[in-house]
Amino acid sequence: MKSKWFVWVVLLPIVILFTVFMVLPIAGGFVIATFDYNPLRSGNSFIGLSNFVKLFSDATFIKSFKNTLMFVFVTVALNITVCLFLSALITSLRWSKLRSLFRVLFFMPCVAPLVASSTVWRGLYSPKYGLVNSFLENVLHIPAVNWLGTPAFVMPAIILFTLWADMGYNIILLSAGMDGIPSDFYEAAEMDGTNALKKFFFITLPLLGRTMSFVVAMTLISHFQMFAQFQVLAGRTGGPNQAGNVLTYYIYKTAFQAKDMGYASAIALVLFAIIMIVTLVQQRASRVDWGY
Amino acid sequence: MKGRWDKTALGKQVAALTVLITVSVFVVAPYGWMLLTSFKSTREIMQNPGKLLPIDWTWSGYVTVVTKSPFFSWLVNSAIVSITVTVAVVFTSTLAGYVFSKFKFKGKTALFWLLLATMMVPYQIMMIPQFLIINEIRIYDTLWALIVPELVTAFGIYLCRQFCDDIPDSLCEAAVIDGAGPFKIYRMIMLPLLKPCIGALSIFTFLGIWNEYLKPLIMLNEVKRMTLPLALAFFSDAHTRDIGAIMSASALIMLPATALLLVLQKQFIKGIAITGIK
Repeated sequence: MKSKWFVWVVLLPIVILFTVFMVLPIAGGFVIATFDYNPLRSGNSFIGLSNFVKLFSDATFIKSFKNTLMFVFVTVALNITVCLFLSALITSLRWSKLRSLFRVLFFMPCVAPLVASSTVWRGLYSPKYGLVNSFLENVLHIPAVNWLGTPAFVMPAIILFTLWADMGYNIILLSAGMDGIPSDFYEAAEMDGTNALKKFFFITLPLLGRTMSFVVAMTLISHFQMFAQFQVLAGRTGGPNQAGNVLTYYIYKTAFQAKDMGYASAIALVLFAIIMIVTLVQQRASRVDWGY
Repeated sequence: MKGRWDKTALGKQVAALTVLITVSVFVVAPYGWMLLTSFKSTREIMQNPGKLLPIDWTWSGYVTVVTKSPFFSWLVNSAIVSITVTVAVVFTSTLAGYVFSKFKFKGKTALFWLLLATMMVPYQIMMIPQFLIINEIRIYDTLWALIVPELVTAFGIYLCRQFCDDIPDSLCEAAVIDGAGPFKIYRMIMLPLLKPCIGALSIFTFLGIWNEYLKPLIMLNEVKRMTLPLALAFFSDAHTRDIGAIMSASALIMLPATALLLVLQKQFIKGIAITGIK
C-alpha cells in the first residue's frame, strides 16, 4: 500500500521519540567517553582516549571485568545445563496438566522484581537467621558460612540466586523446542533399543540447535546486563574485597555517585564490546544450516 | 508406543516426577520462607533462627510498611507508569509495525535496521546521556522521566511487524477497494488479527516496567515519587534491622506480579514461546 500522509503521521512522532531517547543517547555515550565529563562542572574538556587508557591501571575495573566474565560464563553454563535437564524431564511427562504446572512453577521467580527477590535472598543467606545456613547445618550437617560476608562465597551466592531467578524463561523456551521435535525420531531410536541418555544426546540436543542458539545468545546478553542483585546482595561497596563487583554496578557508581560520567561511558563501551564479541563468537559456533 | 503403561515407562515417569518435585520445593522455598518470616516479629526472627513457623503470628511487619512509608503512593506511581507505558507501547508498536509491514516508502529498510541495531546496545551506554536529556527537558524526578523514554520500543515494533507480515496483503487490498482508509484498515483488520501478539506484548511490557529498578534509581530522587522496586531498596535501607517489615514489604511487592502470572498462566507461557521475550 501507499499513503504518504499516513506513513508520515505515524512515523514522525515515533522517529522523534526514538531519536531523542535512543539514537542520541547511544551516540552521546560514544562522545562522552572521550570527555572528562562531570555534569556539576561548567567546563568539560575533550581528552581523547585517556579514559580508555586509565582502564588498564584501574584495579577496581579489572576486578569487576573479571567478576563479570566469571559470573556470566558460570551462570549461563549452569543455567543451560540445568534447564536442559529439567526441560527434558518436563517434556517426558505424559500428563499435560503436570507439564504446564511445572513450567509455571519454575517461571514464578522470573516475574518477581529482582530487587524484591534478592532482598528475600539476602535474608535467606543471613548468618544470623537465614534459611540456607540452617538447612546446611541441620539437614546436611555442613558448617554454616557467612555467605555475603566472605569474598570466596559472595559470587557463588549471587550465581545461585540468579539461577533461581532466571531459569523459568529457558525452561519454557527449551521445553517448547523439545515438544517441537517430531516423535518419529524417538520412535525409530526406540526400535533400535536406544536408552534415554543416548536419545537425549543424539536426538534431542542436535535437533534443538536453533532454539539452543537463540536461548544461549539471549541468556548471555541478559546476564551481562544484570544489576539489581549485585547492589542488593554484594552491597553498596561491591562486597567484601570487591568480590561481588561487576561492570554494570561499577558503571552506575562511577556515573552517578562519583559523577565521573566520561569514565563511566568508557567502561560502558567496554561492556558493549564484550557483549558484541561474545555474541558473535557464540553465533558462529552454533550456526545451524539444516531443518526438519 | 504411546498410551501403553509397561513397568519401565511408569518407573521413568515416577523418577522424573520425583526429581521435578524436589527441584520445585527449592524453587518455592524462598516464597514460603518470605511469607512465614513476614508474619514474625523481628525479635522472634533473631531469637529463634532455626524455627520456620511463627510462634506468635503478627501483622506488625505489614503495619509498619503501610503506616511508616508512603506505600500507597508507591503503588499508585508504579501503576500509573506501568499502565501508561503498556497502553502507549501497544499503540505505537502496532501502528509502526503495520506501517513497516504494509506500506512502501523511502528509507524503510534503513530505518528498520536502525531500529533493530539499537536493540543490541546495552542500557549502560545510553543511560548517562538519557539522564542528561531528561534533566535538560526538566522532567528529572517526575514520573514522566520513566514514561516518555519508554513510549516507543524497538522490540515492540519488531515483534508487531513480524506478526503483521503474517497477515496476507490481499486482506488490506480488498479493504482498500471497498474504500477503507489506512487507519480504518488498522482498526478493523490489523488490530483484531494481532490479538495474540498484543496479549504477549502487553503482559511483558507491563511486567518489565513494573519490575524496572535501574531507570527509577537514576531518574527519581524524592521518596514519595518512587516506584515499588526502588521504594523497596529505599525501605530496606531505612529499616535495616526490622527484618519482619522488610519481608512484609517484599511480599507485598512480589504479590501483584505473581498473582498476574497465576491468573494468566496460559497467556504467559504461550507469550514466551511465540515471542521469545527475555
